[in-house]
Amino acid sequence: MSDGLINLTIDGAPVSVPPGTLVIEAAKQAGVLVPHYCYHPGLPVAGVCRMCLVEIEKAPKLQIACATTVTEGMVVKTQAPAAKDARQSVLEFLLINHPLDCPICDQAGECELQDFVFQEGQPGTRYGEFAKRFNPVEDFGPDVLYVPNRCILCTRCVRFMEDVAKEPVLNVSERGDRAFIGIHPEARLDHPWAGNVVDLCPVGSLLSKDFLHKARAWELDKTASVCTGCSQGCNITLDTRDEVVVRVRPRPNLDINRYFICDHGRMHYRWMNRGDRIEAPLVRKDGALHATDWDEAFARVLAILRGASGKAVALVSPGASSEALAAAKRLLSGFTWTGAFQVVMGEEAPLAGVPNLALRAERAPNAKGAEQLGYTRDYAQALAAAKSAAVVLVLDEPDCPVETDGALIYAGTVLGEDAACRRADVVLPIANVAEEEGTFTNRDGRDQRYYQAKPAPGMAQPAAWVLGQLAQAMGLAEVQ
Amino acid sequence: MGYPHKSHPKETVVLSQYFGDADARTFKGWTKRGGYEALAQALKMDPVAVTDVVKESGLRGRGGAGFPTGLKWSFMPKEKKKPHYLCVNADESEPGTFKDREIMRWTPHALLEGTAIAAHAIRAEVAYIYIRGEFTEPWTIMERALAEANAADVFGAIRIHLHRGAGAYICGEETALMNSIEGKRGNPRIKPPFPAAAGLFGLPTTINNVETLAAVPHILKRGAAWYKGLCLSNPKSTGTKLFSVCGHVQRPGNYEVTMGFPLKDLLYDMCGGPPPGRTLKACIPGGSSVPILTREETEACLLDYEGVVASGSMLGSGGVIVFDDSADMVYQIMRLARFYAHESCAQCTQCREGTAWTTKIMERILAGQGKPKDLDLLLDLSENMTGKTICVLSDSCAAPIVSGIKKFRGEFEAYLAGKKQSVMVS
Amino acid sequence: MTVQEDYQPVFSGKVLEELQTVLQRYPTKQAALLPTLWLAQREHGWISDRIMAEVAEVLGLTPAYVKGVVTFYTMYHQHPVGKNFVQVCTTSPCNICGAEDVLKALLAQSGAGDAGATSPDGKWTIMEVECLGACGFPTPILVNEDFLENVTAEKVPDIVRKYR
Repeated sequence: MSDGLINLTIDGAPVSVPPGTLVIEAAKQAGVLVPHYCYHPGLPVAGVCRMCLVEIEKAPKLQIACATTVTEGMVVKTQAPAAKDARQSVLEFLLINHPLDCPICDQAGECELQDFVFQEGQPGTRYGEFAKRFNPVEDFGPDVLYVPNRCILCTRCVRFMEDVAKEPVLNVSERGDRAFIGIHPEARLDHPWAGNVVDLCPVGSLLSKDFLHKARAWELDKTASVCTGCSQGCNITLDTRDEVVVRVRPRPNLDINRYFICDHGRMHYRWMNRGDRIEAPLVRKDGALHATDWDEAFARVLAILRGASGKAVALVSPGASSEALAAAKRLLSGFTWTGAFQVVMGEEAPLAGVPNLALRAERAPNAKGAEQLGYTRDYAQALAAAKSAAVVLVLDEPDCPVETDGALIYAGTVLGEDAACRRADVVLPIANVAEEEGTFTNRDGRDQRYYQAKPAPGMAQPAAWVLGQLAQAMGLAEVQ
Repeated sequence: MGYPHKSHPKETVVLSQYFGDADARTFKGWTKRGGYEALAQALKMDPVAVTDVVKESGLRGRGGAGFPTGLKWSFMPKEKKKPHYLCVNADESEPGTFKDREIMRWTPHALLEGTAIAAHAIRAEVAYIYIRGEFTEPWTIMERALAEANAADVFGAIRIHLHRGAGAYICGEETALMNSIEGKRGNPRIKPPFPAAAGLFGLPTTINNVETLAAVPHILKRGAAWYKGLCLSNPKSTGTKLFSVCGHVQRPGNYEVTMGFPLKDLLYDMCGGPPPGRTLKACIPGGSSVPILTREETEACLLDYEGVVASGSMLGSGGVIVFDDSADMVYQIMRLARFYAHESCAQCTQCREGTAWTTKIMERILAGQGKPKDLDLLLDLSENMTGKTICVLSDSCAAPIVSGIKKFRGEFEAYLAGKKQSVMVS
Repeated sequence: MTVQEDYQPVFSGKVLEELQTVLQRYPTKQAALLPTLWLAQREHGWISDRIMAEVAEVLGLTPAYVKGVVTFYTMYHQHPVGKNFVQVCTTSPCNICGAEDVLKALLAQSGAGDAGATSPDGKWTIMEVECLGACGFPTPILVNEDFLENVTAEKVPDIVRKYR
């Protein structure tokens, strides 16, 4: 143990971990997943499901891997016959009151009960014709439904609300096989981070109303992304089905959001599927905007830029990628440049049990990135400057109340009937966050990459590409 | 004994000397009988010295586990860095056991004195006596006694509080007891951490049973050697034990005998055996959570920790439940399974689901709808419920099932063959 | 939290004073929960959701937490019970000594009919409970806070008469 690590053997494989590591975590190093339900690295240990029982040499009884700390020379066997029998019996016990709901249960396909039963359960039950316990479905709050019949009482949800959200609004009620997850009638599950209980639930007991019966788990494509709801920069997975974003879930990142996202971010995805998109580049001819191709649109923009001098103003969204923001600045580097953004603000909602994690007041993912590139928050001043600017570039701000005597170039995803940007000389359709790859910088200065989950509609392209192509055509050097 | 009958000549009367003597319940009455002298003596001793005396005496926990008491006290931290706690387990709920109730309602000061001595030995500033909610009479008596003792200021700096339970057998498990005092659901805790390291409110704690602590003043006063000498055959089991005999005996009650006493003599001599015309069929010697003994095993059994193990069961709490030939073993085992199903805290999968499933199968058998595979199923479920959970309630449900099927298989098979029909209530 | 305008807090006046004494016995307010619930039940007869919310407020806990504790312990009533709340032990040691006959007699003579139900005159609720810790004095029953030993079916009429 010269390097301070503890050496042990798990299923024959040597493992070295820091002192204090739980056997269930050490097992991951050996590539062994010890089946479990109640254990979760983001929650305090409960040790109640009894699924992770493993054989440890010299221990008289099977031990739960989630509550056993490694010791030097420990020999762990997860596949010992006694351990497998114990796990199989736990599965049998869990299934006696669990309804055969798989065909109608949202969790099917991503259900840990299904997974472990399939992996090592029995093919049939011996429970026979005894009636299963029945309780009606309960509405816990804004987004969460509780199906008591499917609950395996792992208590992850209770522990999350009590120890991570620090608002014990869920309890275990009653005793014995009458127990269920309860709530007091005077309180709803409306905590800003409550939606995490749905992710935490290993089975289809706690369900998201938003996702209810929307899609099957195996129909979903999963893409790594970053939440655009605020400046925290939580890592998320976008679940798409047939190129429509249907669900947002957290991706673990121990430095930023651990295993959780807030409900605001969780529900903040419908806009990614908007149908009223700009699908082709538009150029102004004879006083009206006409659809055209990229070649003509580029030619028009270049003509504008080459034929203008003096002031240029860029009014940008703090949700644009850093690449797009950088390209926009580069494109206008031949002018006296002003760049600004404004951020919608909201109420901060911390997750009390995790340091430095909150739904942030700044409701945009890349304000920091914009700042780092030289954009300011003096939006009013920039709007005023735009009036007399030679060229104004509006990036992804569909409601921007811009007025200018100069040329107006709008690069965006949507454009309302009465939008000020309808007066643009050129409209360039761009991809939204789900349709491109890019970088956001969160409030702590962390650069994070997000990836493309679905194709952009029509001829829309990532803003970074659009503006980059233009800058290249202008012969403008890359910003270092 | 002493209540409701006079002590039997074969009893060794120590704890039960004043059972039935209402005057002994008062502070004055107790001090007149030599009470609180041991405490005064102990308070002058070094805590470690007090622990040594108890260690030497061989006193073992009388709640059911039989763990050496002095050794348990010595697990408390040697260096006093934080507050220490003593919890007194007066949650007596093990079917067949009713001795702590008698100690509290006849000799409340004995318990208070033992509590204070123990608190001193483990350097606990505060002691909680956890009394089950149903013990209304012991509660009132303990309250009064505590008030009197406090008024007489006998406890020094030690503060003793009574805490009332609210109907949960599982709170007799030491970690569940601590959770209950903390204002939580009575869920047992995973160990480690052990109570002596992190117990009540996360602080070093010792939990002792009522009968264990009631013996402590006697040990302090009369010496460890005296207590160690109270032993019939096995030097590892010393002292006296109150055996709560109930069920099919003519004179049920608490009998105090020296460790190693023959169970046969207890049942036939002292209790008068089963009612006239009936014969002893089965006996559970240590509260319902231990294996059932046949008549032959019962009559050969010596009542000490190792002796009962040798006979195939455990001393446990010493709650002796006697079944004569009129008892329907299958029905009674069902009733015990139902008890455990009702009391399961719901944490562990095997216990939560297994106790209820076991009960359902037993009810089915009793209703005449048992299947041939039911006995094997019960045995397999019992094995799955043993040795795999946070606490032993699950194992306790399995014990009567396994021993019942093994030793009274004929009665089960009679039901399966349709030769018997029971009338079940609820 | 919805406010019931006609709700009379349980913890006021003398009861609140009593609560202060209870709080002194424990290092945390949470630890005072069980005795506080006993106080509430003594005053109100049973513990409603609204009272759970009041207890939560008084002790700095959440109503859901308090409810989780209340539903764990069988002696806290979550709905009104008859004037005489009777608990009859029917676990095996008493079972083999006639406990079920005692239960049947009580159900019949009190008019309660079924275990757990309240009699039409509101005077009786009879519950079948687990071991009461008096197995040598079969069958023990609790009538409210009165612990009666050695109850037999024959003695039931007198008991019912006495408490009615």
